[in-house]
Amino acid sequence: MSQLAEPRLAELEQAVGALLDKPPYAVPPSERREALLALFKQELSYACDRSQQFRNYVRHWPISLSAADAVADLPYLPVSTFKANPPLSLVETRDIKRTLSSSSTSGQIPSRVVLDAATGRRMTRGVTAIIRDFIGPARRPYLVIDIPENLKPQVELGARGAAIQGLGSFATETVCCLRRDDAADSVLELEKLLACAEKWRDSAVLVYGFTYVIWTQFVQPLQRQGVTLRMPNVHVLHSGGWKRLEQQAVTKDAFMRGVASVFACSADRVIDYYGMVENVGVVYPDCEHGHKHVPTFAEVIIRDPLTLAPVEAGQQGLVQVCSVLPTSFPGFLLLTDDMAELIGQDGCPCGRRGTYFRFTRRVPKVEVRGCGNLETTRSRQGTGAHE
Amino acid sequence: MSDVIHSITSPEEINRAARQLRETALEADLSPDVVLEVFERWSAALDAPGLRDVPGAAFLRLWLRRGTLQPILLRELGPESLHGGWREEGHARLKAFPLGVVGHWPAGNIEIQPVLSLTCALLGGNGCLVRVPSGLVETTRLILEKLLEVDQAGLLTKRLFLASFDHARTDLHAAIAQTVDGAMIWGGAESVSEVRALPFPHWARVVVFGPRLSVAAMDAGAWGCRNERPSWCRRIARDVWQFEQQACSSPQTLFLERGDDCDPGEFVEDLKCAFQEENRAHPRREIEPALTSAICQARASWLLDDAANRAWFPGSPDWTILLGKGVDIPEPTQGRTLSVLVAEDLMEVVSRFDGTVQTLGLAIKDAAREETLAAAAGRHGVDRVVRLGQMHVFGSPWDGVDLVRPMVRLVRHVCSQD
Repeated sequence: MSQLAEPRLAELEQAVGALLDKPPYAVPPSERREALLALFKQELSYACDRSQQFRNYVRHWPISLSAADAVADLPYLPVSTFKANPPLSLVETRDIKRTLSSSSTSGQIPSRVVLDAATGRRMTRGVTAIIRDFIGPARRPYLVIDIPENLKPQVELGARGAAIQGLGSFATETVCCLRRDDAADSVLELEKLLACAEKWRDSAVLVYGFTYVIWTQFVQPLQRQGVTLRMPNVHVLHSGGWKRLEQQAVTKDAFMRGVASVFACSADRVIDYYGMVENVGVVYPDCEHGHKHVPTFAEVIIRDPLTLAPVEAGQQGLVQVCSVLPTSFPGFLLLTDDMAELIGQDGCPCGRRGTYFRFTRRVPKVEVRGCGNLETTRSRQGTGAHE
Repeated sequence: MSDVIHSITSPEEINRAARQLRETALEADLSPDVVLEVFERWSAALDAPGLRDVPGAAFLRLWLRRGTLQPILLRELGPESLHGGWREEGHARLKAFPLGVVGHWPAGNIEIQPVLSLTCALLGGNGCLVRVPSGLVETTRLILEKLLEVDQAGLLTKRLFLASFDHARTDLHAAIAQTVDGAMIWGGAESVSEVRALPFPHWARVVVFGPRLSVAAMDAGAWGCRNERPSWCRRIARDVWQFEQQACSSPQTLFLERGDDCDPGEFVEDLKCAFQEENRAHPRREIEPALTSAICQARASWLLDDAANRAWFPGSPDWTILLGKGVDIPEPTQGRTLSVLVAEDLMEVVSRFDGTVQTLGLAIKDAAREETLAAAAGRHGVDRVVRLGQMHVFGSPWDGVDLVRPMVRLVRHVCSQD
């Protein structure tokens, strides 16, 4: 690794800090584009100095760093790259403070990314800046719809723990309302929850949980028991995807109405956000118009699967997430396995500037087919059973 | 056939169709010569607008020609078989009779495969019950409509029933299996196992094609020759492009035997030009997003796994060449992604084949060495050894199995009188 790395890291820190200091959704796209392009080039060059393998990847990219005149020209990695073990790293092992792992579904290998202290700090700043724009800056009681074990500081942290802890900076006090029973299942602690609801009735309260956990272990039990919490000033944030709820035929609208009814709050206080551990420090909450917005220190490019060129507004494609925040792993520019529709730039009635989009679906895992492949149900979904 | 492809909802419809097909097959002999005549007309009719763009259509036209199929019949069934005659064998005589009704489960990703599969059984005089994968219904319909045009008497079309139904209808898959006397199954491992587990009658002959993969190999004499190299590269590109590299016969890896004064990077530059040219001639019109992801992943993991690895690819997912060293076949990506591996000795490469390799495409300067390699490949499970550029030329035997012979019964008649 280059001896020039430290001074360059300080330069990067300064440039990233300057972007983090700006309001997350107020910078004109043209100004942001220039700043991001310059910064990503610096970061890629820094990463090439730190990793021989990454340098090899960048060296083979069809457009050289110097010739790139848009963020979309720069070399991106497929997100599944981080399923490698050991995880791709730009720091010495002794500098790794934490490893985040994705919430992979059964049988799949989770992604893992390493954080050093500086990346960890930027991650917290990024998430805080985004969430503050949606719920306001005030610190408030924090109700976690999860078990306390996911709140503990750990060197190896899963997606649930990372999401819970990422919102910790908004908390004056934190309460988890689930616990593990003797069979190691999560169960709702109703008395504890009712006590909090009574105590925080008139307060602004932040609530967070994984989408399916909120539904199956919070909303459904409360509805069965006919309990309403009467906490009209909550903001309920949830993430983790809809796959499991879709399997139960629970629509997004039904979910929001269900959550709002148990808290006796309005449905617009229930906010779905998308985040992935590889895209550290960036989350994409739905605005009141159901759109996802990109903050100043990040970018989202939707790419046509046929050409990999960026699509026009109104078109769908593979989502590339871009973030200037990590320097401990090369997670600056990542092609995900999600599909989204690009809605536009600077046009959302909510007033937030920059790229905005809407997720459409997850790309099924591809299976290599011989001739051939009898058409199969599971091959379409990625595992290969009979059509 | 009132409609070319029938949308099926109940097992009774399949039972009814199978009864009809069996009656037709038993009603009168259908000699291969008659089938060849209709096929010849069908081949000519397929040279039509709207069909020329179907992947594999050019190959199908060639396949249906008498010049292609007659030698196959002669080899598999003997010279008298063309006119449905008896062949003398010692004190006995032999004649091919159809099994009856043959069920077909073609692959879902090769457009012409339902038709290729049924032609094999028709040559044996069988009735065919074909389950057409949903993604191939339109293409198959277009191809079969041309058969209807040229077979007004219904000689072949009376022997066909093509069914389309929802993939989840295991009862309909089972109904087909229960009514057939033979089956031709093309597919991946899991899918093939599922079809084989269907309730076929105990006498049914089941022939499975796939799943396999294929590789190419060149010795230094071939790939190091600057004059011949562009021509070999064009052939490799053709083999990679056809069927979108999804066929069993598609090369996934090209092994280059190391040679003095031969630069693999120089060779790959020529290969890159051939890929670019092939891509201009045959651009991709659509792609599954999952394949795009897989191609991006293949590029990244190749270059990240070993800093000595090299790669050539455009910004689009159109094609990818991955260059490195090795003797083992890497996990295939498909989607026009070719791994090019430099190996010290092709014999070592071939000796590691484990039965999954169907076709070995070769470009070997030294004929004696090619013979040695072909023999070694045969010992290690390879079923086809062909020249580069001809990896997809469909012929018999395929996967080491005859195409017509398994779907007929050879009846032996020993005369009761001296």
